[in-house]
Amino acid sequence: MIITLLLLIGLAEAPQGTPLQGAALERRTHEIAAEIRCPVCQGLSIDDSPSEMAVNMKAEVRDLVARGYTRDQINAYFERSYGQFVRLRPEFRGVNALVWILPIAALAAGVFFVLLTFRKLKNAPPKKQQRDDLYLARVRELTKGASR
Amino acid sequence: MNRTVLLAGTILTAALVGILFLGLGHDPKHIDSPLIGNPAPPFELKVAGGNETIALAKFRGKPMVVNFWATWCRPCWEEHPTLTAASNELGGRVQFLGVVFQDDESKILGFLQQRGAAYPTVVDDRGKTAIAYGVGGVPETFFIDANGVVVAKHDGPLSPEQLQSYLAKDLGQ
Repeated sequence: MIITLLLLIGLAEAPQGTPLQGAALERRTHEIAAEIRCPVCQGLSIDDSPSEMAVNMKAEVRDLVARGYTRDQINAYFERSYGQFVRLRPEFRGVNALVWILPIAALAAGVFFVLLTFRKLKNAPPKKQQRDDLYLARVRELTKGASR
Repeated sequence: MNRTVLLAGTILTAALVGILFLGLGHDPKHIDSPLIGNPAPPFELKVAGGNETIALAKFRGKPMVVNFWATWCRPCWEEHPTLTAASNELGGRVQFLGVVFQDDESKILGFLQQRGAAYPTVVDDRGKTAIAYGVGGVPETFFIDANGVVVAKHDGPLSPEQLQSYLAKDLGQ
């Protein structure tokens, strides 16, 4: 009977957490629901959306939390139906990893470029000195034979 | 150095423009269902207007068309004749099943009496089945093969040609 019930809601695995109730149940439901996207809204979580779909999905989250399912198990359950789209915070894996990596890589590349430019400016001789060096080199070249 | 920066900038811009261009042909509301290729989530729901229930498992061994709809959804009205005609035509070869979503039972019965009911309709009272199938809006139709595996999903109303194509390509009818 229990197995049938689990299968009927699409969760074939047993809960891996502790069943919650009261304020703890509401707090955990709110935390998990805030990271699940409402599929009929524009960028809203099921915690924020007043749509019937979101209300049903949040009720499902509450039901699963009350029965002891963990955050990962609940996220995986919704992901099995809706795909990764349902997660407002993409997981660090596959192509989604780029969402996390690219901004950091772009920032690092920018810092590197700025440092490189500063270093070159610092090491480069002042323009006047550079010009004087050229004159000095020419004078030395011309006076090389005369000193002998 | 300036040439290198220019080249890097050009490559980066070209890549970004390419990604944006690819996105132009993509419907932002369409989401590929992760259920395709996987067993259809089981359910047991009450028949509209009756006391008995229907379980998905009852139809195992027969290809199925599971249509999520509601009476408040205009596009569902449009596709209803298409589904009804196909169910009547295919008889016992393909099982059609309507799953009503976020609706009132009296309205469902009124709709079916007025527009005809060629196949069973069940009521997804708390939306649990819709959630298990990843339904975002109605109508959505799932094509399930005789082994109980989801082989295709269609978002929006089905035209007779589209339904014919799914039945031929995905259910071998």
